Amino acid sequence: MHNSLLDDLALASPLREKSSRLKLALVAAALLVGVMSTSPVAPLFIALTMSFASIRLGKVPAGFYGKLLAPPLVFALLGTVVILLFFGSGPEIFSISLLGQSFGATAEGAELSILVLSRTISGTSCLFFLALTTPMVELFALLKGLRLPDSFVELSMMIYRYIFVFLEVAVGTTHAQAMRLGYDGLLRSIRSFSMMAGTLFIRSWEQGERLYTAMDARCYDGRLSLFEEKRRVEVQELLGACGYVAAITALAYITRGTSLI
Amino acid sequence: MATTLLETKGLRYVYPDGTPAIRGVDLRIEDGERIAFVGPNGSGKSTLFLLLNGTLRPTAGEVLFRGRPLQYDPRSLRETRRRVGIVFQNSDDQLFAPTVRQDVAFGPVNLGLPMEEVEERVEMALEGVGISGLKGRPPHHLSGGQKKRAAIAGVMAMEPEVMILDEPLSNLDPAGSEEVMELLEELSQRGTTIIISTHDVDLAYRWSDRVCLLADGMVMDEGRPEDIFGDPRHLSGSGLRQPLILEVYDEISKRDLAAFGKRPRTVSELVGHLSPPNLRWMKVPPETEVGERIHPEGIDSVGPGRDKSEEVLVIHLQGGRAVVETLDKSVRIGRVIVYDTDGGDPQALSSLLADERIDLVGVMGTKSRAFAEKNKIVSDIGSNVIDRTILRALCGEAVLVITNGGMVEHAKRRIEEYCRQSGMKIEVSVVGRGADRAGSTPVPAPANAGKRR
Repeated sequence: MHNSLLDDLALASPLREKSSRLKLALVAAALLVGVMSTSPVAPLFIALTMSFASIRLGKVPAGFYGKLLAPPLVFALLGTVVILLFFGSGPEIFSISLLGQSFGATAEGAELSILVLSRTISGTSCLFFLALTTPMVELFALLKGLRLPDSFVELSMMIYRYIFVFLEVAVGTTHAQAMRLGYDGLLRSIRSFSMMAGTLFIRSWEQGERLYTAMDARCYDGRLSLFEEKRRVEVQELLGACGYVAAITALAYITRGTSLI
Repeated sequence: MATTLLETKGLRYVYPDGTPAIRGVDLRIEDGERIAFVGPNGSGKSTLFLLLNGTLRPTAGEVLFRGRPLQYDPRSLRETRRRVGIVFQNSDDQLFAPTVRQDVAFGPVNLGLPMEEVEERVEMALEGVGISGLKGRPPHHLSGGQKKRAAIAGVMAMEPEVMILDEPLSNLDPAGSEEVMELLEELSQRGTTIIISTHDVDLAYRWSDRVCLLADGMVMDEGRPEDIFGDPRHLSGSGLRQPLILEVYDEISKRDLAAFGKRPRTVSELVGHLSPPNLRWMKVPPETEVGERIHPEGIDSVGPGRDKSEEVLVIHLQGGRAVVETLDKSVRIGRVIVYDTDGGDPQALSSLLADERIDLVGVMGTKSRAFAEKNKIVSDIGSNVIDRTILRALCGEAVLVITNGGMVEHAKRRIEEYCRQSGMKIEVSVVGRGADRAGSTPVPAPANAGKRR
């Protein structure tokens, strides 16, 4: 029932076992290079390699990946159209008239819009790579390693765990309400939903009490020093990551200023 | 030599809103005991458990652990909770960490153990409950039974002297229940005192050494399960019923059909009551008369282990079938071979498995089950193994039981005890440990040559 959540794909991913620090560093570097590149070549290359890595190495179903990428892509395309029509100066490469208004696109505008689009895709695919190969449970250790405040990390761990418990309660309650026609009509839906939310609040309150008792029974003393999973970085992995970053940086440098048009 | 582990004296507890929950409980729990608290909902079982590990402080009376009253300062409470572990009814209340492994490690880390030891204990506990393969999973990816086992592992890792389980079988399917019960059996074999609460009278009856009947915050009755459940009058008004086995037994016994005095606790013991082994029903030819001796060859589908040429005496006739007495007094009974996976020789096992004369294979214990799965051994008996093994052996089949550790001795003892009580002779041999190898024959005599299911 959970197989549509990104986190579940990440849990099943073979790349989960790899060091999350390395993955984070790699993604951060690729993101930076992609954004700083002045030509669309390097970002497109990054997008391609990151998608390839997610699908082939991370074993994400290609169809699912496509569906995942589609909404941000559509959004980016809409933005690109606006840039294409309203930005840039110089000779027009084409123009259309719509409702008596003439819209034109310049070469400069086209170049800019392609660059923005490629950067968007590259950034999105980088973040998807991280999200699809690094489940939350691995990120907690990383957050701790990055010296974030303990209470912040501990709270986020518990919130993460109980999201799923409450999700189940919420789904169950909603079904029970729907079964008795609780979502028949807008007004009734609003009423039912507010009742469900109220129940959920009280449930979570009670759950908190029970959780505390259960933790207390296992000698909880206010410090939540959780055991961390150790993920070792192999030399080849480190070299591979460095090589990749060097390659995309070089590509961005060589192709600087070139355009596809 | 049993020593008292936990004791309560005049224990009372009143909820902050003034509702009395526990109204005077005096209990004694011995070291190594298996106790079941049974009682209707709201009878105070959960509250009593929270009093036993010091989470709640009694309004009056006291709790003693190994003769010393519980102290309620943080230091002593820590010590109490290390020794008295509680597994809560709802696993989701207990599993809070993002992964199973981190959750199991929570207790040992809190005890301030060094990391290597924490690691070791986590591995042991996860292996002990048979979910080593799931350690990296978040709890919401586990099934109900797996969650329960993870919760038990979390408490096991603290190595408590007594483990309290509140309704360990609620929300579990029958297979999950059997697995948890088997796990508790293993824990008990290793010397942990175990206290459970349950509504399941069949389970409490079969499993426990002692039963406490709780109602309205008071112990209504306590004693051996046979005594508590034996008298329906004890149970009236308690919201419980008699265990099915006892109910059947009582009906048999009222008709003077029960053989020996002790009340049965398992199906095999119940069967032992039914009839002398040389009496049975069978189909007879139409012209047969009472008192006649016949050779029922080829008439009836003869049960395994019984020679087809035996001569029988017809005692009673009813509609084409008759009660007959086997005149050949040597009733054939099957054999049991127990294989120990801990120190076993894989060669011996494969020769046993290839042996045509073994009719059934039973696998017992979480570790052995993992072993069987790894070696692609198909088990015919997966739960309640000892009981079913006895039943199959009584039908003349040869059973191979694959198990390990203390369960080997336990299985042997149970079967021998059954033989002593019923007067039947089931031969038990242990294969796989150096100490026993000399005295046991790895291959059994033919119980039913050539037949294998």
